[in-house]
This record gives sequence, C-alpha cells and structure tokens, in this order.
Amino acid sequence: MIAIAHAAEGAAAGHASSSGLPQFDVLNFSSQIFWTIVSFAVLLYLLTRFVIPAINAILDARGKSIEDDLSQAKKAREEAEKILANYHKELGAARQEAGKILEQARLEASRLREQVKSELEQESAKKKSAALEEIELAKQRVIEEIKGLAVDLAIDATHKLIGKAVTKTDANKMVEQVMTQLKDDQQRAH
Amino acid sequence: MEHLAASFIGMGLAAAGLAGSGIGLGFMFGKTIEAFARQPGAESQLSKYVWIGAAFVEAIALYGLVIAFIIMGKG
Amino acid sequence: MTMLIANALAAGAAEAAEAAPKMDPLHHFQVIKVIPISLFGIDVSISNSVIWIWIALGIALGLLRYGLRAPQLVPGRMQSMAEASLLFVRGIINDTIGKEGQKFFPLIFSLFLFVLFCNVTGLIPGSFTPTSQLVVTGTFAVGVFIFSTGLGFYKHGTHYFKFFVPGGLPVLLLPLMVPIEIISYLARPVSLSVRLFANMTAGHTVLGVLFFFTATLPWFGAWLPFGFSVVFTAVEGFIGFIQAYIFTILTCVYINDALHMH
Repeated sequence: MIAIAHAAEGAAAGHASSSGLPQFDVLNFSSQIFWTIVSFAVLLYLLTRFVIPAINAILDARGKSIEDDLSQAKKAREEAEKILANYHKELGAARQEAGKILEQARLEASRLREQVKSELEQESAKKKSAALEEIELAKQRVIEEIKGLAVDLAIDATHKLIGKAVTKTDANKMVEQVMTQLKDDQQRAH
Repeated sequence: MEHLAASFIGMGLAAAGLAGSGIGLGFMFGKTIEAFARQPGAESQLSKYVWIGAAFVEAIALYGLVIAFIIMGKG
Repeated sequence: MTMLIANALAAGAAEAAEAAPKMDPLHHFQVIKVIPISLFGIDVSISNSVIWIWIALGIALGLLRYGLRAPQLVPGRMQSMAEASLLFVRGIINDTIGKEGQKFFPLIFSLFLFVLFCNVTGLIPGSFTPTSQLVVTGTFAVGVFIFSTGLGFYKHGTHYFKFFVPGGLPVLLLPLMVPIEIISYLARPVSLSVRLFANMTAGHTVLGVLFFFTATLPWFGAWLPFGFSVVFTAVEGFIGFIQAYIFTILTCVYINDALHMH
C-alpha cells in the first residue's frame, strides 16, 4: 500500500497523465473517495428504504400464501381421508349385512328343502302302505277265489271218481284240511 | 538509460510471477476434474469453490502485474 | 513510458503508414474532471469515474425498481431477478456468518450491487470502470476493514487483541507468530482492494490491446484479435461477477471473524 502510494506520488510529481497507470494519480484520489462514500451511502439508503422492504414483503407474502395453500391442502387431505374411512366403514357394514342376508337365505333354503323332503317321504310312505294294503287285499281275494275253485274242482273230481256228489260243506271242510296241511308243510319246509 | 533498461527487466520479472499462478490454476482445475470424475454428484457443490479459488489464484498473478505497472510509473 | 510495446510496434508500422496509431491500452483508465468542485480546500470535482459510478448505480436501482414496479406472488422475469439477487446475498451471509449476520444485510447487499454493477457497466464500449480505480476499491476495502475491526472491538472489547495470538502454540513461537498475524490482518484491505482493481485493470487492458490490434491490423489479420475480444468480453463479464462475489464473501468472512474470532 505504501509502495503503491509512493509510486503514485512519484507519478504525480512527474507527468501524471503520461507515465504509469492513471490509477496511481494522487490528484484524483480525494474526489473519488468522497463521491464513492456519498454514492454508497445513497445506495445504502435507497436499498434499505425502498428495495429491501419491498422484496421482503413479497417474499413473506409468497411464503404465507404457500403456507396457507399447504395447510389447506392438508385439511382437504384429512377430510378426504375421513370420507374414505367412512366409506370403508359403510362398505364393511354393507358387506356384513349382505353376508347375514345370504346366511339367512341359505338357512331358509335348507329348511325348505328339509320340509319338502320330509313331506315327500311321508307322502311316499303313505302311498307305499296303501299299495301294500291293496296288494294284501288282492292276495286275500285271489286266495279266496282259488279256494272256491279248488272246492269246485274237488267236488267235480270226486263226483267223477266216485259218482257221488259231495256236499259243498264237506268239500269245503276237506279243502280246509288240505290247505292247512299245505300250510303246515310249507311252514315245515321253511 | 541504464535504469530504464533495468526497469524493463524488472517489469518482465514481475510479470514472470504469472507462471506461479498458471501452475496453481492447472493444479486446481486438474484436481477439480479428478474430484468430479470420482464423485459426479458433488459437482454442483464443488464448482462454487472452484471459481472462488480460481479468482484468488488469478489475483496473485495480477499482483505481479500491478508491480510491473508500478515499476513502469517509477521508471 | 506507457507505449513501450507501442514503440516497438510503431517502429515497424511507421514505415508502412506515416500516421500510425499509437497503442495506449491504459488510456481509458484516465480520470477526467468534468465539473471541478472544491469543498473546504479539498478537491471533490465530478470526474468521469464518479459519473459512471452514478450510471452504474442508476442502472442497478432502475432494474430493481422496474422488477418491483408491481410485485406479484407469481414473479415475472425482472422480479425474479430482483428477488434472486437478494436471496443470493442472503445465502452468502447465511453460509459465512450465520443467522446473526442478517443485520448487516443491507450493507453487504449494497456493497455487492455497487461492485457488481460497476464491474459490468465497465464493459459497455466507451464507458469507464469505476472499480478499476484503486481509490474506489481502496475506499471500500478500508471501509470494510475499519467496520470489521470496529465491530470486533465493540463486540469483544480488548479481548479482540487475542485475535492476533493463535491458540495452541508454544510460547516460544509467539514472538514470531504474532507479528505475522498482525501483518496478515493489516494486509486484508490491501489484498481486498488490489484484487478487484487489478482484475478490472488487467481485463480492460487486455481488451484495449485486442481492440487496438483489431483496429490497426489489415482485414485478413484483424478477425483473430476481434474474435478474441468477443470471447474476452464474455470472460470479463464472468470475472466481474466472480470478483463482486468474492468481494462480498471476503467482507462476510471479515465480519464473521470480528463477530466470532474464529
């Protein structure tokens, strides 16, 4: 610094305008120092007074607006989440309800099936027993018929054989006898 | 006339100080490229310091230039 | 003495053309008094340097004013630029000083804008670069130096002298280290001012040399220095920004040292 100043002095002592850097010309120092300080002070004042507050205000406003937007978005999100949870709850309830209804329907169906089945069974059992009875009756009737035929045959046969008519009562008695004997034989054979 | 020649020589010698600054810049940018090659992710963070450093190293050379100018004024 | 190179060059050129132009790349650093004013015997005349300081600051304030003419939540281009410049400086302060550095924000912001716009408006052809004047950068550097030193003494009182005594050193080394620390502390304004001034001066000198060659060489040779001058103008713009950035960062570092005594 001292050397520079010294050099500048030397330059100033000689021909300031023609030798060395013009920057070292001491003659111009005082005015530039003065005006630099004044200009800087004015710039500092204008910036502090007008520019910096304006920029800060707009930055703060933007920050605030972003913050608001964020909080609003957060609120909306919370609301949406609430709605979603509600929906899920309702969906679950509906599903449960549907399950219940389905179960009920299934129970009803099985009950109906059971009922129909038992009714059918009863019906068929009734029909079966009726048919059996009928068969038994028919059997009885056939046996009676056969018995009658057998008696007639026996009377005829004996008449032819012995030439003597056998009374119906006798024939009946005989047939009864044979029949019982047959029955006995049958039973014995079993 | 002799001191004029001496001042010319002195100016040349002062300007020769640029060599050191050149070496420094070469080292710095070489190392920087090495660092970027090794870690490309750090490029954006490092490049700031590279330019600051470059300006500092360059300023050293310019001190030599200023001294040359001072000698020019004296001679 | 200014035309040492020019002498050699002109010697050859003079043979070809009788009125060879003289190369004087330092000519545009010449401070010319426009309105001589004297205040209490001190010369405070308005020179071209001062006028260009005003023009640079006028452009800076005009751009900011134009960007903020109707501030909106969704910023336009110029408003974004204005906001970005403020946030940029705020980021520098936060990185180097921390939250408590924000009270120096207007000061550092003004410093940044002043240096940046003086650097950049100097690139306009025919203009003058106020930051290429050692006095202007020196005024800032000394101002920053006085401010940070005063801040250190205000904050720590006489404790601030401990700044020159590095901790964790054997006592025997102290007589060696303390003067080194003091010298390096006193060298701060010198390096701060000379860095900016030398960068601007050197860049504009190179541009001046390139323009001289562009103007004087015949057409088949002129395109080369002309192309260089185009590229170098872009480089100068970048350097102007970087130097403003560094000036700001170093100011922040010095204030941080004063506040926290590292």
